[in-house]
Amino acid sequence: MPIDKEKEIERIKEVESINLAREEIRDEVIETKKAVEKDNELLANRVHQKFKDNNIKSFDIVGAIGAGKTALLEKIIEKISSQYRTLVICGDITTRVDADRIEKHKAETVQINTGRECALNAYHIHQIIKNKDLNNYDLVFIENVGNLICPSDFILGTDKRLIVVSTTEGEWVVEKHPMLFKMSDIAVINKIDLKERLGTDVDKMISDAKKINLKIEVITTSAKTGENIEKLMNLMGL
Amino acid sequence: MKEELIKIEELIGNFDNIEKSDIKDLMQRLFSKLGNRLEKYVGDYPTFIEPVYLEDNVKIGDDVLLGPNVYIGANSEIQDYVEMSNTIIFENVIIGENFKLENCVVAKGSSFKFNNLNMKNSVLIGETKSKDELQSKKF
Repeated sequence: MPIDKEKEIERIKEVESINLAREEIRDEVIETKKAVEKDNELLANRVHQKFKDNNIKSFDIVGAIGAGKTALLEKIIEKISSQYRTLVICGDITTRVDADRIEKHKAETVQINTGRECALNAYHIHQIIKNKDLNNYDLVFIENVGNLICPSDFILGTDKRLIVVSTTEGEWVVEKHPMLFKMSDIAVINKIDLKERLGTDVDKMISDAKKINLKIEVITTSAKTGENIEKLMNLMGL
Repeated sequence: MKEELIKIEELIGNFDNIEKSDIKDLMQRLFSKLGNRLEKYVGDYPTFIEPVYLEDNVKIGDDVLLGPNVYIGANSEIQDYVEMSNTIIFENVIIGENFKLENCVVAKGSSFKFNNLNMKNSVLIGETKSKDELQSKKF
């Protein structure tokens, strides 16, 4: 394939819209997009199989920036680090701030800086685990890049996906981001300690999540006060 | 880390004996010690899977994925769409567009001014504008 055509497909993949493709390469762009999605799924299945073969429980944690993904993970890891050998893969566009926070609680971390990509994909995870001896772990957490949109394009091959939102994002945050709620197993509404002060309608958030996904488990938490962290861990089977 | 780099550089100087050398063990030893150094590169937010160690003035193009286990020497240039893992690039190297290198070592001063190459478990060396002229040795 000529380089300029390759570049054009790459550019279109970046903006994730086939509508931008010139008519003469539209078919090719669609085929490429389908192939990429299929490749991600195949790799995610391989990742999941590797986790299962090594008796590893695995979780992908998605949510907006500042919803409290890292804070919740810190609370959970603090409680379990003596019991489970834990690997935490942290996704951020840049920095290793989250990995440094988590390492303080005695879990091993790997930081992925995605640069201009807004979600982790199964290839990233596969690259990491093929360079690790998975016998050394009981638990893997993957903290995805903070946003409620892009991670819906890529499954990662974990047992469960948790979606974290918070009272500070307002009661419309759930209904505005249905795709990720559809794809998640547990919805966490964090910063419940701020509910009264902010006047957020948490009941609406809970019922929206249930409307979008009948099977989703919904729990309210406060990573700050520790409220319902144990209950969340029970839901996760920890 | 410096110690392993020096030994690896010595080994690849003896190009014909690479296969029989302990280059794999040395690379593993280097990667086990490798930390992150991402502060001094020139470029536009590539994807890094740690550990990735970049010496000063490494130029990185668009849509590049580096890591895990990548060391790049000073003043080297990594062009667009490159992907590499478990790989050592010594200083003053040019890697062309859309190279995929896995478990490779590229000798100091090498310059590959062509596109599209997929290599594994190899030492690469030379100054070339075409794939056919590339010198490489499997290990």
